[in-house]
Amino acid sequence: MLEVDGLKKRYGDTVALDGVSLTVGPGEMFGFVGANGAGKTTTMRIVMGVLGADGGEVRWKGRRAGFETRRRFGYMPEERGLYAKMRVAEQIEYFGRLGGMDAGASKRSSDALIERLGLTERRGDDVDSLSLGNQQRVQLAVALIHEPEVLVLDEPFSGLDPIAVDALAGVLAERTAAGVPVVFSSHQLDLVERLCDSVGIIKGGRMVAGGTVAELRARESRKRLRIVVTGAESGWADRLPGEIITKIVRPPHGDPAQSGATERYDEVILTPADDQEALRVATSAGRVQHFGWLEPSLAEIFREVVA
Amino acid sequence: MNAVALVARREIGVRGRTKGYRYGLLVTAVLVAVLAALPRLLGGGSDHTVGLVGTQADRLQAALTAQAPPGGDLTVKVTRYADETAARAAVAAGDVEAAVVGNETVISKTVVGQDLSVILDTAHRMVATEENLTAAGLDPAKVGQAQQVRPMKEVTLNGSGEDATVRLVIAMVIVVILFMLLIQICTWVAMGVVEEKGSRIVEILLTSVRPWQLLAGKVIGLGVLGLSQIVVIAVVGLAAAQISGAVPDLPDGTYGVVASTIVWFLLGYAFYAAMFAAIASLVSRQEELSGVLTPATMLLMASYLIGFIGARSPDGTLTHVLSIVPPFSSMVMPVRSAVVDVPLWETGLAMGLMVLAAAATLYAGGLIYQRAVLRTGARVRWREALRSAS
Repeated sequence: MLEVDGLKKRYGDTVALDGVSLTVGPGEMFGFVGANGAGKTTTMRIVMGVLGADGGEVRWKGRRAGFETRRRFGYMPEERGLYAKMRVAEQIEYFGRLGGMDAGASKRSSDALIERLGLTERRGDDVDSLSLGNQQRVQLAVALIHEPEVLVLDEPFSGLDPIAVDALAGVLAERTAAGVPVVFSSHQLDLVERLCDSVGIIKGGRMVAGGTVAELRARESRKRLRIVVTGAESGWADRLPGEIITKIVRPPHGDPAQSGATERYDEVILTPADDQEALRVATSAGRVQHFGWLEPSLAEIFREVVA
Repeated sequence: MNAVALVARREIGVRGRTKGYRYGLLVTAVLVAVLAALPRLLGGGSDHTVGLVGTQADRLQAALTAQAPPGGDLTVKVTRYADETAARAAVAAGDVEAAVVGNETVISKTVVGQDLSVILDTAHRMVATEENLTAAGLDPAKVGQAQQVRPMKEVTLNGSGEDATVRLVIAMVIVVILFMLLIQICTWVAMGVVEEKGSRIVEILLTSVRPWQLLAGKVIGLGVLGLSQIVVIAVVGLAAAQISGAVPDLPDGTYGVVASTIVWFLLGYAFYAAMFAAIASLVSRQEELSGVLTPATMLLMASYLIGFIGARSPDGTLTHVLSIVPPFSSMVMPVRSAVVDVPLWETGLAMGLMVLAAAATLYAGGLIYQRAVLRTGARVRWREALRSAS
């Protein structure tokens, strides 16, 4: 289990991190979201030891993570860095060797990753002759080559096309299936929602929300009800308790003998004062087609939390 | 394989593979070979043809061959002619450069070349003197023996007389090579540091290797490339001198001077590489590099110029003092050693001080590098780099 406990970091008078804590269990995919400058990158750099913290600590398997522990972590920094004038395969293998693998193991692991990431045809090319998307794949391979015990990826999906996103997501899923905790930051919240077991939202150097996506929803989504009623009389919605956010009404039309939307259709999104009373009002007004809490997307939760 | 070796191997592999390095090495080797062989190529190796006529032709031929033994740089090919007319015809036809008739007359198309003229003149004197001695009833062999005296022992107060020019040339070559190599390899070190810092690859590297390992690997790897260049230059230069037959002209102790130059290169390299690396770690972009490197480059330039002065006035106070004070000693001392004999204790002192200076620079440079290399963005100030605890 990777534990980040109460990290603090100041740059002069600016407080970058003010007690950031998070926990990622084995095989868990953790999405780290927050506005630009909220502290994601600073946190990840401290986790990787390339930046010193003013307070707090990082633990792996219950022990404070030192240099030797972090050598077994895989890292993809925010600003991509590769040797421009070095061949793809050679470069990936080099990082494998630096990560402690012998030549043979490094070669095998590199070959597998190159194959998996679709770089086979470019393996002998200098990195700077590759497209940005392919460079990003090499960057990922560099993070994965030494079969790390923990993966820390800063914006791994930015700039990738949908196919590359799927390839990367597939690779990450393999790693979590093997029990590796994965932390990644992203602004693509739909992706985070889709991939992550848990999410942490950071704002101004503090974690403001965290948990599984379902937990976040449960906490944040009690406020909005979506009610669809057909065949109601006009004005029924005025009896609903609470504040109506949106209301869509389609009046009855067409020949009643024919099938189709001939009844009046009402769709209301409501912040209810009393949900049970709202249900009674709806059932008495007409036929209830839909009555349920509106599940917000992660993006909506994020906006609400960060606002 | 440990991290330092891995980093060094990458530097050697990537840098040594570039066309710039390979062609550079080749061109240098060719230049040095030509330079070393040049004196002989220009000066020696002439073949002459001489025609002889008359009764003294045998003795003249013997005298000529004695001066130009077969297999030497100078050869004289002799052709006999029956009479003067035949000899004249041969000279006119260009079969021979000159013809000697009866040890009295030299026939040639135009003026005889200087070296051939000396040979002919000497042969003429030898034969004529022998004749005169015999006529006077003296045994030429005994007179010859009597004339053989041991040459006087030469004691020169300033340097080694005839060797002075050769020594000066060697010293100049040393100072130029040291300067070129130091500035080239140290610039590579600086560029490599900025490449890693600017591309942020250093962030990934430093999760696997420690800053000092990364720096040491880089300095050692590029140092190996520099060392291989200087060794190639030394070996090619000496080999070319050997093959072209210039070795007897080299002053005593040339090999020692070459060997100590290599040691001085390594010491100077350790010092300047650490300095260049530390300075380079303060900036994040290659464009900023030449600006911040200026003081270090100036220091290297100053050593170079003083080295040049030192070659001309090896006993001057400036040369004397700066051949011991680091980092100037790394260039001034090998130059001074090439020109004059330097007392062993002075060389030892200079090397000892330079080792200390290099060690101190490596230590301080390593600290600065460690603290500055992850701080991308604006240029890191010296004071910050020295003060901040990473």
